[in-house]
Amino acid sequence: MATSTLTDTPAPPPAPESHAPRRQRSLRYWLDFRAAPYAYVAPFFAVFAAFGLYPLIYTGWISLHEVELGTQDQRTWVGLDNYTTMLGDDRFWKALTNTFTIGVISTVPQLLMALGLAHLLNYKLRASAFWRVAILTPYATSVAAGTLVFALVFGRDFGMINWFLDVFGVSPIDWEAGRWTSQIAIATIVTWRWTGYNALIYLAAMQAVPNELYEASAIDGASRWQQFRKVTVPSLRPTILFTIVVSTIGATQLFGEPLLFGGTAGARGGTDGQYQTLGVLLYQQGWGLFHLGRAAAIAWAMFLILVAIAAVHALITRLLRRA
Amino acid sequence: MTTDTAPRLASVPEPARPPRPGARLRLRLRPGAGRQMHGGPLTYLVLTVAALFSLFPLYWTVVAASTSNTRITQTPPPFLPGSNLAHNLKEAYTQVHMGTALANTFLVAGTVALATVLFATLAGFAFAKLEFTGRNVLLMLVIGTMMVPPQLGVVPLFMLMSDIGWSNELPAVIMPTLVSAFGVFFMRQYLAEALPTELVEAARVDGAHSLRIFWHVVLPVARPAMAVLGMLTFVQSWNDLFWPMIALNSDNPTVQVALSQLGQGYVPDRSVIMAGALLGTLPLLLLFTVLGKQIVGGIMQGAVKG
Amino acid sequence: MLTVHKRTRRSTALTVSAILLATLATACGDDGDDSGDGGKVTLNLGLFGTMPYEEAGLFEEYESLHPDIKIKYTSPSDEQNYYRTLQTRLAANSGLADIQAVEVGRIREVVETHAAKFTDMSKAPGVKEGDWLPWKWQQAKAADGKVIGLGTDIGPMALCYRKDMFAKAGLPSDREQVAALWESGWDGYVEAGKKFKADYPDDGVAFMDTASGLYNAMIASSEKQYYDADGKVIYKDNDLVTKAWDLSTEAAEAGLTAKLRQFDTAWDQGFSNSRFATVVCPAWMTAHISDKAGEANKGKWDIAAPPAGANWGGSFLTVPSGGKHVKEAQELAAWLTAPEQQAKLFAKNGLFPSSSKAMEAPEVSGATLEYFDGAPSGKIFSESATSIPVTVLGPKDGAIKDNVSNGIQLVEQQGKDPDDAWKSTVETIDKDVLG
Repeated sequence: MATSTLTDTPAPPPAPESHAPRRQRSLRYWLDFRAAPYAYVAPFFAVFAAFGLYPLIYTGWISLHEVELGTQDQRTWVGLDNYTTMLGDDRFWKALTNTFTIGVISTVPQLLMALGLAHLLNYKLRASAFWRVAILTPYATSVAAGTLVFALVFGRDFGMINWFLDVFGVSPIDWEAGRWTSQIAIATIVTWRWTGYNALIYLAAMQAVPNELYEASAIDGASRWQQFRKVTVPSLRPTILFTIVVSTIGATQLFGEPLLFGGTAGARGGTDGQYQTLGVLLYQQGWGLFHLGRAAAIAWAMFLILVAIAAVHALITRLLRRA
Repeated sequence: MTTDTAPRLASVPEPARPPRPGARLRLRLRPGAGRQMHGGPLTYLVLTVAALFSLFPLYWTVVAASTSNTRITQTPPPFLPGSNLAHNLKEAYTQVHMGTALANTFLVAGTVALATVLFATLAGFAFAKLEFTGRNVLLMLVIGTMMVPPQLGVVPLFMLMSDIGWSNELPAVIMPTLVSAFGVFFMRQYLAEALPTELVEAARVDGAHSLRIFWHVVLPVARPAMAVLGMLTFVQSWNDLFWPMIALNSDNPTVQVALSQLGQGYVPDRSVIMAGALLGTLPLLLLFTVLGKQIVGGIMQGAVKG
Repeated sequence: MLTVHKRTRRSTALTVSAILLATLATACGDDGDDSGDGGKVTLNLGLFGTMPYEEAGLFEEYESLHPDIKIKYTSPSDEQNYYRTLQTRLAANSGLADIQAVEVGRIREVVETHAAKFTDMSKAPGVKEGDWLPWKWQQAKAADGKVIGLGTDIGPMALCYRKDMFAKAGLPSDREQVAALWESGWDGYVEAGKKFKADYPDDGVAFMDTASGLYNAMIASSEKQYYDADGKVIYKDNDLVTKAWDLSTEAAEAGLTAKLRQFDTAWDQGFSNSRFATVVCPAWMTAHISDKAGEANKGKWDIAAPPAGANWGGSFLTVPSGGKHVKEAQELAAWLTAPEQQAKLFAKNGLFPSSSKAMEAPEVSGATLEYFDGAPSGKIFSESATSIPVTVLGPKDGAIKDNVSNGIQLVEQQGKDPDDAWKSTVETIDKDVLG
């Protein structure tokens, strides 16, 4: 995903050959020079190898077997069966669609609102620190705590939103049971938690937009709105693209919100799987139904989807830079 | 498992402007033009709505936690705090080992944050300013690990932890998150820009060992980013749910594990559940109240420099 | 040499920080769960849901009887999570408690896949087979005769109903007369529901909580449910499954249900806000009702005999053989499930004994429940218990039941056609449970 940014920053100049006479360099210097970088990155790779890579490869191996959670020592080689089962299962496609739709209805309004809020926060404000802290507060709330509150607020019989709608004569909505209503409710939780955060990211990028650009457009007689559209947004393009990618990755892995929002039906993503995401499907297959092999196959499918997203991002970045 | 602690902080790619080395840093620190304009009444109105939307669920958690089960489910719903807060907090505290959970989570999140910052700064320094064979390939690997869904390796990981004898022990939760790919990438991006290469080279010419350079040159420069990363990692680790739920038992939970227990039925009282949610969020909220300004500054600084 | 010195310092710094982190973590993560406390043996119990040994004072009593024993337990509220953890730990054969509880819907699966990892409780000191109901004893028995778990409670069913609502709907409210409404069978229950719906003044109040509750009650009163005696899955061809499905979806489509899911938040709120008039209630649910419905509804609930005797729930205590204190654990499990303790649990917490001896104890047979307007719970549940058929269980009973319940909710909540819902339910079961 961030491959493009790698080539972006100037690489450090080659070894300082020109600075010091070669002879003065001892073995120590050479060792330090050669080996130290590896020692510095070693902790990451060591921990990752033990607790990330090993389980990951092992999971790949598991995905080619029929394995049950309770009897992991008995494995039957099934080749790609778990993958064909997955692709032939309506629920996989449903979960994929749901992941996509929840992703869209949580990411798009979230980033648009964040952009708008950032624009407002960029004005000279009274108590500017207060506004920033206030909109960032949901970020400190965990998925579990946030979802518990929203599940009550969106309740069918005694929820606050239905009570509020009732005041205006709208009959109560069974938020959890409907496909769109449940997805909107879940997207609301996601939006609530991340809008402020993204707004601050945008705000930071806005403050880095050079003054001259605004001055130039002011001379051209641009209004505030035109400035926003013609100066701010184009300057923020890389940041916007980046937040889209990060939000997309988050949306692809969406798990805790639908699981906890659904109460006892959470693991199947609602009675009809109306808000089951890929993450929840994986959890249901592996830890609800104990089919570890199938869960592993879904995990790898999610991984491939993320790789595809990264590739698309890299492509777009490249095109943007050319343009 | 190293990936699930990657906070969603944007390390903003460079704007597509021709690089002007040297001038760049100064330029970026200058405030944008928008700041000079004053916000109108409409601005304040929209911000008030946004702040209300952000804070209301938390406020309502307090309201729900301070009333009773029956009151929560009546219409109209309660909007003002009741008098049961202490009682409900006490109930939540005893019903799901909340005391253990809080102590555990402080320890886990603290250790993870410290270790992540230390290892990420070391690795970020190496990736940003040291030349070594395979650097780009290794960095790509680090970034690649960010895309692995956290749920992927949980089964073998659990078996591994059982073999080591860490099942239901805190190291099972701490060890896999001691490093974070995001952290390494974040520090690398920050140091690549904020740490002048000349400074490193000068120290090197003086014969300084690279660890010495790390200590005397890198750390002072990296400190703001380290603080941001530490804070983000702490929050992330505090809120981590999936792996702790599998690795830990309910007698030795983290806050999130205890909370998800409260949420899954059989607990008689909704207001007790909300009291639990409040208890589990309170430490972070306090952190935000006290350090809010610094945290906001840190996130923004990280976003620009990253 | 300077080189060595500096290199050492660097690696030392790294090692020290790594060790520091690791020890810090280990030191605080462990607060002595083994036999510490001056030679005392600590027994760990893995329980779930509401198993009120602590509340009934049984742990305290046992500790005072055995001063060298210390009891610790965990009790996650959700059985699904509990069982998942248990499965994982059985697979890894580590992290198991000294005593693990197993729910009746899971017991066959545990017996058939993991019997070797448990001790034979039939040979444990103080265990007499004759103390238990024969069918309960059989459920935990493996093919080779090993009995891996001792029955705790059973769940003989009755119908809990709201007296006040029945009266308002013009139905009889006396428990004998109410029972007479559905003496003919579950059809009578649904018929009563239709009358209730027609005559009850408030549309916001439903006759029954859930359609799946009705379905499960009907299935539980049948000898054969999802498996036949040879272990073959027969639910598709089982007439009773079809009949139960038809009647419960009929009730759902007629609007007799509150469209809830049992054990969900909203279901609990339904009790406290009086949103339904009846609920199929096994003995253990009486505690749940009084708890959720609260003081405000005290005396409004009552208990009537069901159309047919059936069992819902009940658990077993097992002792994994890999534990450190197998002997002590077996003794404790035997004591907790002995007739005297079972009788106490019913008197105090409404868990109905699986011991035939305990059922005869006066504190069981003569028990009444104040919350339910003094209903003779001992008598009602005992009668229901004696008519419970000896049912054939299978390894995936719990999972099949969950899926059919969900299928009924497709009709109840999503408004699907019952035939379509049945088709997709069968498909899901074939794929997820049996596939």
